[in-house]
Amino acid sequence: MVRLTIDGRAVEVAAGTTILDAARKLGIVIPTMCFLEGCSPSTSCMICVVSVGASGKMVPACATVCEEGMEVRNDCAEVRAARVTALELLLSDHAGDCVGPCEVGCPAKMNIPEMIRRIVAGDMAGAIAVVKEDIALPAVLGRICPAPCEKVCRRNQLDEAVSICLLKRYAADADLAGGTPYLPSCAAAKGKSVAIVGAGPAGLAAAYYLTRRGYACTIFDERDKAGGSLRDGPGEDRLPHAVLDAEIAQIVRLGVTLKLNVRVGRDVSLDSLRGSFDGVFAAIGKTTAEAATEFGLKVTGKGVAVDGAYRVAGSNVFAGGDVIRNRQLAVRSAADGKEAAEAIDQYLSGAEVTGPEKAFNTRIGQLEPSEVEAFRQCASNAARQRVEGQAGLERAAAVAEAGRCLHCDCRKADACKLREYSQAYGVRAARYKGPRRPFRQESGHPEVIYESGKCIDCGLCVQIAAAAGEKLGLTFIGRGFNVRVAAPFDAPIADALKTAARRCAQACPTGALSLKKPV
Amino acid sequence: MMGEVDLTFVDEMVGRVGRTADKVLEILQGLQSHYGYLPREALERVCATTEITPASIAGISTFYDQFRHSPAGKHIIRVCVGTACHVKGAEQVYDAFHRHLKIPAGGDTDPEGIFTVEKVACLGCCTLAPAVQIGEITYGHLTPDRVAGVLEDFLRHQEAAPARRGAEAVEDGQVEGELRIGLGSCCIARGSGRLNEALHNAIEETGIKAAVKRVGCVGMCHQTPLLEVVLPGRKTFLYARVEPEDARPIILRHFKAHGIARKVSNAVSGVLDEVLAGGDGDPVVRYSIDVRDRPVADFLGKQKHIATEHCGVIDPVDIDEYIGKGGFEALAKCRELEPRQIIGEVERSGLRGRGGAGYPTHLKWAAVNRAADDTRYVVCNGDEGDPGAFMDRMLMESYPYRIIEGLAIAARVVAARCGYFYIRAEYPLAIKRMTTAIERCRERGLLGELELQIVAGAGAFVCGEETALLASIMGERGMPRLRPPYPAVKGLWGRPTLINNVETYALVPWIIRNGGAAFAELGMATSKGTKVFALAGKVARGGLIEVPMGISIREVVEEIGGGIGSGLRFKAVQVGGPSGGCVPAKLGHIAVDYESLTAAGAIMGSGGLVVLDESDCMVDISRYFLEFTQNQSCGKCTFCRVGTRRMLDILERLCGGAGKKGDIEELQHLAMMVKQSSLCGLGKTAPNPVLSTIEHFRDEYEAHIAGRCPAGKCRALIRYSVTDECIGCTLCAQHCPVDAIEMRPYEKHEIDVEKCIRCDTCRKVCPEKAIRVE
Repeated sequence: MVRLTIDGRAVEVAAGTTILDAARKLGIVIPTMCFLEGCSPSTSCMICVVSVGASGKMVPACATVCEEGMEVRNDCAEVRAARVTALELLLSDHAGDCVGPCEVGCPAKMNIPEMIRRIVAGDMAGAIAVVKEDIALPAVLGRICPAPCEKVCRRNQLDEAVSICLLKRYAADADLAGGTPYLPSCAAAKGKSVAIVGAGPAGLAAAYYLTRRGYACTIFDERDKAGGSLRDGPGEDRLPHAVLDAEIAQIVRLGVTLKLNVRVGRDVSLDSLRGSFDGVFAAIGKTTAEAATEFGLKVTGKGVAVDGAYRVAGSNVFAGGDVIRNRQLAVRSAADGKEAAEAIDQYLSGAEVTGPEKAFNTRIGQLEPSEVEAFRQCASNAARQRVEGQAGLERAAAVAEAGRCLHCDCRKADACKLREYSQAYGVRAARYKGPRRPFRQESGHPEVIYESGKCIDCGLCVQIAAAAGEKLGLTFIGRGFNVRVAAPFDAPIADALKTAARRCAQACPTGALSLKKPV
Repeated sequence: MMGEVDLTFVDEMVGRVGRTADKVLEILQGLQSHYGYLPREALERVCATTEITPASIAGISTFYDQFRHSPAGKHIIRVCVGTACHVKGAEQVYDAFHRHLKIPAGGDTDPEGIFTVEKVACLGCCTLAPAVQIGEITYGHLTPDRVAGVLEDFLRHQEAAPARRGAEAVEDGQVEGELRIGLGSCCIARGSGRLNEALHNAIEETGIKAAVKRVGCVGMCHQTPLLEVVLPGRKTFLYARVEPEDARPIILRHFKAHGIARKVSNAVSGVLDEVLAGGDGDPVVRYSIDVRDRPVADFLGKQKHIATEHCGVIDPVDIDEYIGKGGFEALAKCRELEPRQIIGEVERSGLRGRGGAGYPTHLKWAAVNRAADDTRYVVCNGDEGDPGAFMDRMLMESYPYRIIEGLAIAARVVAARCGYFYIRAEYPLAIKRMTTAIERCRERGLLGELELQIVAGAGAFVCGEETALLASIMGERGMPRLRPPYPAVKGLWGRPTLINNVETYALVPWIIRNGGAAFAELGMATSKGTKVFALAGKVARGGLIEVPMGISIREVVEEIGGGIGSGLRFKAVQVGGPSGGCVPAKLGHIAVDYESLTAAGAIMGSGGLVVLDESDCMVDISRYFLEFTQNQSCGKCTFCRVGTRRMLDILERLCGGAGKKGDIEELQHLAMMVKQSSLCGLGKTAPNPVLSTIEHFRDEYEAHIAGRCPAGKCRALIRYSVTDECIGCTLCAQHCPVDAIEMRPYEKHEIDVEKCIRCDTCRKVCPEKAIRVE
């Protein structure tokens, strides 16, 4: 037996045990990417480095065998810094977007590629469920949104952007036209209430997402109909009132109380709302200093001052939409409502109020023309669907249009260790800039897709393929910075991995090898 | 498209070499030399007929620089970009070949398919810098404007293709004296091969009774080709820089012509011979140097020859001569000793590994000796890859028996029955001489049960790292692995393996013969004995030197090396190559030993000493080494694979005039990370040149951020102009490779800055020093 300490805690292990296993015995989790039980350690990614002894020597925990009296540090600034650097270096040579540029560009951060994939599959119920995860009024926004998502669509580099906005509208219209429009399930009632002032896009969105989280929501609005700026701004030909009313009705159906013809600051004071509700969300739209004062809030600069979590400093009042930014962009206001709902939830559950956690996303940025060509394999070559005037897409046209999506979001966005640790260690993805590996995509295999731009050269797949007795298998081609995992003799992956493909994709710590259909 | 590839050679090769997986390197080398590249069909055929898998052959053939996957030109031009060549303008020479041969951007072969231009890490001809190898011929001291001439010369040579005469020809027993010529790679590159031929011709024509004897490297590479005339009982004459046409006059000066009238067909030349042989003040005198001459005495005086014992005296492959001078006595003595006694003697000597890290040799030997496994191996690391280092090449070329004897002693200590010499492929002469020497040892039964093999590397610097080297011997990609377990515990095929450097083995016979204590008398407290260094760069007298440990940097540079050749100021010495650092002139007093060099931010390394003067830019030097290590990284661990690349990005930015505030700090941060967390020695030491230059020359880094290169080296930061000193001689205009200077006789010339490629040719050819660089 060998005795050692890890972060000051003593542990005794059998001779030959690695530091990684000794740490596990203590319940200490050391991050790993290139290590996999059953494979020999490739000591490649170096994310598992720990500091050893007085000299502070850095060693990979996955392959370093414990020695008697060893002092190992896992939780210290030096180790953290080394891991951050390892991740930042890997990211500097990573050609892949965690989520589609469209999703990054969407103020509401809607998972656009997933919605599109549901439409392609004919799963319209699935499509609207995806949409409504982030957008409470998709039929409305599908008509008036200026679609920043389409401006950054990678398909622009090939021909024209995918008609994302019309696809969203199609999903929402089809849903409303069906007999039973989509209603999400709500969390169990939390016994707390929120007053929402203003029934415009921000207020309606906040009500929708707070209700889903189990809060009792009441919307106050001075007018006799809900909708705020949406009702008069766009005009009937762009946004028919019937569409607006239908989507508001869905929100009401979820359990939201509407109190119309009530002007807060005149009919009822903000202070009394703060007293009778656990929280208040002010979404009163574009305002003036006088109006805000009458309402009960102070205006500075562009609007009411809030922190990063939409909170009016030190109070139970939150604000969002045009009242804080004066952008007059409905989708931005809707996003504010959704994000504020999360902040209010944090506040009411006694958690630290930070607003939504910012997801870590890699961004390739501009692609070379040869790189964007690689994406074409998974998309149809059809031209962008055209519509007349304010018309929407028919089902067949929607499916065809959805087929144009390049699927440039990562298939492993939720299972990628590189992303997980990059998020956990708070790394700066763009810290080191320089030449990087190109984006490539190989989709000819029936089960897996290989994108070498996302590979971290750990070689797990090389080992697994060899152990499985693959005749061709995979190998490292080249050396140094230009080393790539590939099949020998430029063979297609379909020939290289006859039996081990699924296992390779499951073992791959990043999105380099991914399964074609989620398991 | 290529025609069909004839695969019968593949089958022959496989039949000859064997079918096991570890034969892959040898097979690939055979295919490469037969086809000139590795045709896909040939590789597939190998996989079909051997145990070698497609994954293995594809991985290995793309790992090593030696292999090409597409056909090359008829002749390969290898432009050495070693350190010494780099500081003397190799990059400009490389560009000049590309320009002259009209090689398309991104390509390496001219449109007619005659020449392929490649960069090579180091030809080990540092004293000829910048050096270029075309086919088998090495050209030294190249400049961009000599490129055309060199190609012409090469092609002329190809047509003539003179038959080479063997060096061994000795006529009969009545020899009146010896003519010793160095036949190391440097000497051959400088023409000693042609001199050898000329000497033989002259002897035949004159009937003189003289024996031509080839000897190993004398070390005075700055004076090559050297010819030593040894007359029994008389003074020895040493001639430097001898040309083939000097052979005859020199011979006639010292020997009596016997059949001159009969042999000489041209009467005029016969008369001339007599004049030269008889008269005083004959023209050959200018070549004669005397060991008592001050510079020669300085060069040799401070040296102590142990690894290079009998330097310039013995024929490298003459086994009888080696035995006659005490060779194999040490091995015989060891047969009478217990392993622990031998280890004790080595311990007393204080010998530390000469490969770079300086690990005590006896500890390594003892570890393998006590390993719990009956099968053990010994390995000699001859994969000397540091640019600017050629010690091991010279030792293998000049003293192959000494290395074999040292390794055989080690094999006796660790009870190994099998030994490997891993020698880099760029050293064909070393491979040839070692092969011959092993063969002769075997014939004489000197090795007992010990089986020795040579494995030729294939162009991967990382294979100098011991675990990578072992992987390479086993027929894998040369990837290092985590240590422990050390090779002493788990080496070749999982067995205990002793691996030492060439020089370490070469020191062992002397230690055994003279006792460890005698060795320990030399040197310093923790660094005993001598160290062989390759002295090159801006020094006046470059060459191969063996000096006692503890000698100061200044003594080496100024006394042995004769100071800076150009008369410029001595700025720094780069010690230890890409793993080492730059010791500034102000630290010239420090001793050459393991600890002092480490304290100064350098390392002993394998022994390359490249001297830099004030025209060398330290940021450029740093970039140069990083480019090298980055290029040679195996690519396994993140810190080395990506980290060195990102460091290089910053250095390229600085040298390219795009540096920005914070770059130095970011570079230091990355350097520390890469140093601290890389998996193997290559990565752990790669940042040293960067860190040491930032430490000692930070002002130069800052100047680059401000857009200036104080040394006038970084092309993006300098411009050339003509001063009023210009006399209108038109030389610059004639030599400018891109017509950036208009020819205007007797008028002041002007340089078109837009066209100028900063190749420095104009400055070199200007007789009036009228070209300004700023």
